[in-house]
Amino acid sequence: MTDYSELFGRRSPVTLPGAPDVMTSPAIAAVGQRWQCQRCGQLVAATDRLPNGDWYCRTCLQLGRLTSRDRLYTIPEPNCFARLMAGGLTWNGQLSSIQRQAARAVQKHALAGERQLLWAVTGAGKTEIVYPALAEALARGWRVAWVSPRVDVCLELAPRLRRDFAGVDQCVLYGGQPVPYRYCQLTICTTHQLLRFNRAFDWIIVDEVDAFPLATSPMLQVAIDRAQKTQGSCLYLTATPGERLQREIKRGKLAVTYLPLRYHGYLLPPIQLKISWRWRQQLQRGRLPAGLQRQFHLWWTARRPFLIFVPHVADLPVIMTVLMKMGLSDGATVHAADPKRQEKVQGFRDGEYRFLLTTTILERGVTFPRVAVAILGADDPVFSTAALVQIAGRVGRLASDPGGQVLAYCHSNARHVHRARAMIARLNRQGRRRGGRPC
Amino acid sequence: MLTCVWCGRSFNLTVTVTMIWQWRPLPQPALCAVCCARLTPINSQHCPQCGRQQASNTCCRDCLRWHDSLRNRALYCYDEGMKAYMQQYKFQGDYRLRLGLQASLRTALDREDYDILVPIPIDAQTWQTRGFNQVTGWLTGQPFQQVLTVTATHKDRPQSAKTRQERLLTPQPFELVSGASEIVSNQRVLLIDDVYTTGRTLRHAARQIYLGGAKAVTSLTLAR
Repeated sequence: MTDYSELFGRRSPVTLPGAPDVMTSPAIAAVGQRWQCQRCGQLVAATDRLPNGDWYCRTCLQLGRLTSRDRLYTIPEPNCFARLMAGGLTWNGQLSSIQRQAARAVQKHALAGERQLLWAVTGAGKTEIVYPALAEALARGWRVAWVSPRVDVCLELAPRLRRDFAGVDQCVLYGGQPVPYRYCQLTICTTHQLLRFNRAFDWIIVDEVDAFPLATSPMLQVAIDRAQKTQGSCLYLTATPGERLQREIKRGKLAVTYLPLRYHGYLLPPIQLKISWRWRQQLQRGRLPAGLQRQFHLWWTARRPFLIFVPHVADLPVIMTVLMKMGLSDGATVHAADPKRQEKVQGFRDGEYRFLLTTTILERGVTFPRVAVAILGADDPVFSTAALVQIAGRVGRLASDPGGQVLAYCHSNARHVHRARAMIARLNRQGRRRGGRPC
Repeated sequence: MLTCVWCGRSFNLTVTVTMIWQWRPLPQPALCAVCCARLTPINSQHCPQCGRQQASNTCCRDCLRWHDSLRNRALYCYDEGMKAYMQQYKFQGDYRLRLGLQASLRTALDREDYDILVPIPIDAQTWQTRGFNQVTGWLTGQPFQQVLTVTATHKDRPQSAKTRQERLLTPQPFELVSGASEIVSNQRVLLIDDVYTTGRTLRHAARQIYLGGAKAVTSLTLAR
């Protein structure tokens, strides 16, 4: 028998000859006067017409071009997986009592098929909290996707899941993946890859739901809805839910589980506000405010690794030269388009560099031991409330060193800085009630 | 506020005194400054024959090996940026990217001396899958004559996937359409193509057009 599993729950522009129960639809369909791509759901611009008369979709071009000549093929998801004992879970770590409580709540909501949010502070151990629910879902024969808008999150997660769910067939999908798609019970992918799925998953776990580009892209939000089955559900994981999710919680449309304490039981380090008047003008004259200089020297001589966040990529070389002039050697700059990004981050982790000067790309998904953080120009609109809370969450992630400083240097009064401070204060208030210790 | 066709970001046009002085409608660039900087225009230091960017104005090594006198001009170096552009435009089939280089091709064509413009054709199968001829996409209303067609019905591999030796051994893929001789005879023909790599394709095309009775054949490519 030929294997048609490649089409199960997919939205594929190629079909397999002789496959039974194939449902097909045109790739670009007419909607009123306009044309709509059936893969990404976006309207095709009136100018995007080829000379041979076909329309094509530019929005999902990266997944392979669809024209009005193409058709999409799918076989409804049959869930043919081998039944697994204990959901294939091979993890033998222990959850703390607070984590266990949260894990039970997540499991309850998941099995009830509710849309839910796990609002856990940075460094709470979100991944492990989902494990019991995930094992239960897999044991029931559900098809599950673990998705994230960020490819680095997927790449970091994949080996962990492979180790902790060794009994489960898994595949990792992202733009430019080296291995082709395979039908698996557990799929780890970027949110863009969900556009290729049609009513496939019983449960979708969306990691870092407030990260770019998911937070600002209605297309990807629709992709999550369309990739889950009609009776399927999803779980959002984040430390900093956006306005939209918080509104849904208030209206009771979204089940929520709070976890205001880190796995080691210490509270979050608060953001300390520092005023650095006209630091940009001072920078133009080739120096940094005196308070900043003193602080950096202090960290540097104490051999405490530190991260300096700046608003723009253009600021990196300027500030770097000033720091070099101050005598702070062994530092590096990292930005999104840096070809040596991974090596530098790893080098910082290994102690090769004593500080990193970076933009918001290192705001989430990275752990450095003993790190301290300074945010230069925290009042810049580049740093959203969520970004500031995430940046503060880089500090004190290890049980052996739960403290550390987060300093926000501002030139002006900014609402989002106060909101971030208020969010951390609120989480810490909840955490203290659950027995959290201040660090 | 304009939107860049390549990166999709919006950008503002910097209006210069020259633009105001020319007293014409303001240009509407399709590429933002960052995307423009990804492409390297070829300056006056180039090979007099193939138009390759180089340090001297003498004939380059590849042209000496050809022992002929095809004159080609190119607009951009075929570097990483250009490869990325071609990848998205030609191979992913993003037809809207044509807008990005139309303006520079128009100014280049205005400088050239010719009677007839002949774009290099694509074969029927490519037309089916790609849906457009990448060369004519860049033209903005300039009249052209499609006097060549592709005879090799099935290409086993695209030209871009071959090595230099394999490319040089490619047999003649073009022939003239019926009635082409009346059009090209005793005319100065300008061939236009996307990339000049070995020069094999352009020489095949030039040969056919000379057989049609053309007075002179030169060529213009977007990249070299």
